[in-house]
Amino acid sequence: MALSLAVFVQIIVAVLLVIGLMVGNAVVMVYVERKACGFIQRRPGPFEVGPRGLLQAVCDSMKLLGKQIFVPGNIDWPLHFLAPVVAFLPVLLLYLPIPFGPYLTSLQVDDGILLILAFAGLGAVSNILAGWSSNNKYGLLGAARAVAQSVAYEIPMIMALLAVIFMTGTMNLTTLVEGQGGWPWQWNIVRQPLACFIYVVCLVAETNRAPFDLPEAESELTAGFHTEYSGMGFALFFLSEYANMLLVSFVCAVFFLGGWRGPFLDGFWWTFAKAYAIMFFIVWIRWTFPRVRFDQLLNLNWKWLLPLSILNLWLTAVVVKLAN
Amino acid sequence: MLRAIIDNLKGLYSLLVGLSITGRFLLSPQRTVHYPRQVVAPESLASFRGPLELVPSADDPAKTRCISCQMCVRACPDNCLKVVKGEGGKAPAVWVYDFSLCCLCAACVEACPASALRFSHKVYLTALTRDELKLDLLADLKARAAKAAGGADARPPAQPPAGLEPQARL
Repeated sequence: MALSLAVFVQIIVAVLLVIGLMVGNAVVMVYVERKACGFIQRRPGPFEVGPRGLLQAVCDSMKLLGKQIFVPGNIDWPLHFLAPVVAFLPVLLLYLPIPFGPYLTSLQVDDGILLILAFAGLGAVSNILAGWSSNNKYGLLGAARAVAQSVAYEIPMIMALLAVIFMTGTMNLTTLVEGQGGWPWQWNIVRQPLACFIYVVCLVAETNRAPFDLPEAESELTAGFHTEYSGMGFALFFLSEYANMLLVSFVCAVFFLGGWRGPFLDGFWWTFAKAYAIMFFIVWIRWTFPRVRFDQLLNLNWKWLLPLSILNLWLTAVVVKLAN
Repeated sequence: MLRAIIDNLKGLYSLLVGLSITGRFLLSPQRTVHYPRQVVAPESLASFRGPLELVPSADDPAKTRCISCQMCVRACPDNCLKVVKGEGGKAPAVWVYDFSLCCLCAACVEACPASALRFSHKVYLTALTRDELKLDLLADLKARAAKAAGGADARPPAQPPAGLEPQARL
């Protein structure tokens, strides 16, 4: 694929659209999350700003924009200001290979999932930078946890995706979707249920969401690695967290739930509906389960998810070999 | 090993149970009352401990059962009560209760040999200064008696803001 002018323009347009999607997603998800939290706890959630509290998230983001950026003393300030950018920028790249619809793909990449997995690792780097440069013990502890957690959970996550890749023989996300049918029993989740389960667990842990939100455990570490960030620095971390959530949901939809294929009328709406169903599931999980301890988190990964994912991968390889 | 697997499967099942409970709560009606627009029904306030009030005697609703024995004053850990016996007889002449000091411990209610004290259900009591919270309970008792008799000078103890319907539920 030569980097011609057309491709360049396509990428610029795609990145702009992705930025719009990220911001819109964060605003919508903040509202959905607070409403779901309220309903689960049998209270109304945000209610006063706008009709049924619809403008609450908009007001919150305006407040964040107008906030003074407060910087503590003795920070490593180049790294301190680099960290939110490092958290935010790779996410733009990660959205490029996602096939939202049959024609709505920012960039056709043959190794799309490889690109996503490679650059998703930068999220952990931004967490380390933020925690280390803040000169704050909570930040440092949060960063240490973030690294141990994301390094650990990346392995079974890749193993789970690898099982599907073994089965279909492609890393191109568009081909992956085309290999699945419209009806739920034609999706990869039916052929790879264990891989899907492992992926969903790892997805929650990789995006630092409850019950695996140890790097930013409010009750223990105030806010973990982004304790010392205010205003736009915090907003960038926040944006990238929600964007990462949406991204892993899209990957899950493409890999296991048939992407844009639906029972009728294929199109990008199916991808979005599936991804947002997973997002809602993540929110639901957050307000249901208590946070695990750190040793429980790592035990779950190294003692259960990793052996299970290796077993699953091995079984898949054997079945694929026999079938051929 | 087998035991660990079974335990983990049971744990997974318990996670599903948790999800079903929160999912049910998500869809069931909320328990919150939007205060300025809705208020809680009075019968739901029966267990609310508001500031103290005097219990009227059986024969006259404007008269107190208090015998000025000072048991409540001694029992009070916060020294928020002041009872002065009146001339001739046991009835008190002054009964001042400083709600800003009261911790609502009910020691006075339990200590009272005449059962002359109880908690009111005044949810909507507000004050701008501490002095407004020094409540004259004898005057309050008279006001309640006058209101019960239909007197025009009755000062309602604490009513929700005008024009609000108490919510039926709750």
